[in-house]
Amino acid sequence: MTSHNSPNELLNVWQSQKVGAIAMSVDELRRASNKLARRVFWRNTREAMAAAIGVAAYGYYFYEFRTPLLRLGSGLTVVGVLLTMFNLHRKGSAASMGKEMDSRSCLDFHRSELVRQRELLASVWEWYLLPFVPGMSLFMVGLIQLTLSQPGAASRHGSIALGFAVVCGLMAAAFLIVWKLNKWEAGNLQKRIDELDAMKGQAG
Amino acid sequence: MQSTRNPQDDLYRDAIDAYGAALSRLARAWEADLDARQDLLQEMHFALWRSFATFDGRCSLRTWIYRVAHNAATSHVMRSRRGKSRTLVSIEEIEESREMGSLAAKSDTNQSIEQTQILDRLYAMIHRLNPLDRQVILLYLEGVDAASIGEVTGLSSGYVATKIHRIKAILIERFHNGGNHDQP
Repeated sequence: MTSHNSPNELLNVWQSQKVGAIAMSVDELRRASNKLARRVFWRNTREAMAAAIGVAAYGYYFYEFRTPLLRLGSGLTVVGVLLTMFNLHRKGSAASMGKEMDSRSCLDFHRSELVRQRELLASVWEWYLLPFVPGMSLFMVGLIQLTLSQPGAASRHGSIALGFAVVCGLMAAAFLIVWKLNKWEAGNLQKRIDELDAMKGQAG
Repeated sequence: MQSTRNPQDDLYRDAIDAYGAALSRLARAWEADLDARQDLLQEMHFALWRSFATFDGRCSLRTWIYRVAHNAATSHVMRSRRGKSRTLVSIEEIEESREMGSLAAKSDTNQSIEQTQILDRLYAMIHRLNPLDRQVILLYLEGVDAASIGEVTGLSSGYVATKIHRIKAILIERFHNGGNHDQP
């Protein structure tokens, strides 16, 4: 039984506690380094494959559909996919994935990670959603035009319009929800950044 | 024949010899879940080894090690906290609250508490703290002085000294003779 009447005794208790200290061998660390490199490679590969599927699909539409609007829409969607993948690759890497787990002070490191995440989320409209808008909009207009030009379409104008309105509405809602959720999360991160800044202000 | 020594590997070995146990304590303080704690500890070791490729001696080895380890822990917590709604608090909020008694072992009597119980309570308190306050208290518990804590965290030594003053008050109040002040 012990009594602990001063913080110094608690410090002793803390520092003398039994812990299973591990020591990774240098070989293990090199293996971990290679594993990280492989993880980054496969992440990039997955992104490239997702982009390739999008490009292949809209590339197929480009050759399949003959109307200018559908071709332009397909082409612009392909550009949108490539642009989004480029942005994802450029912005997406966390500091922990690189060599940047560096000697910056904890406050600076923490703040920069929060700012990086906030920027990513706050600008999701510009770098993730917007690139798809021109191509997909033109593609939808082209589809409407093509559908209306089919034989017998004149008698079904109402149902065709309703069908496209529902599809376009759902797509717009999905974009809006993604945008709003990211904005909301960016706002939460900003509050944490403000708290850090206030702390730094007090500390300075 | 002389083998080629890699400075990065040597620095890592020296760091682990001197601070391996501190890193394990730090991992436990940052991560309550046992499996996740092992992952975090490996992340810290890995981050440390990688960081030594660019160690330039502009700060002390100790400062470097604690910065890298705490930054790795912060990243880990930020990743794992996504989707969790638990609110983290400051040292001041802990100081003002009276609920710490509930963190004490329920079977406490008037006798002194065993070290493990004290440590459990300390860890429980630390797990509730926001990242920067957690860094300050952990460095304090490791015996790092206020100026060096400031160097690691980026906070001014005066600010850190205030925090430490509060930490000491909490430790004395809540852990004095096992926290028996909470009892009637």
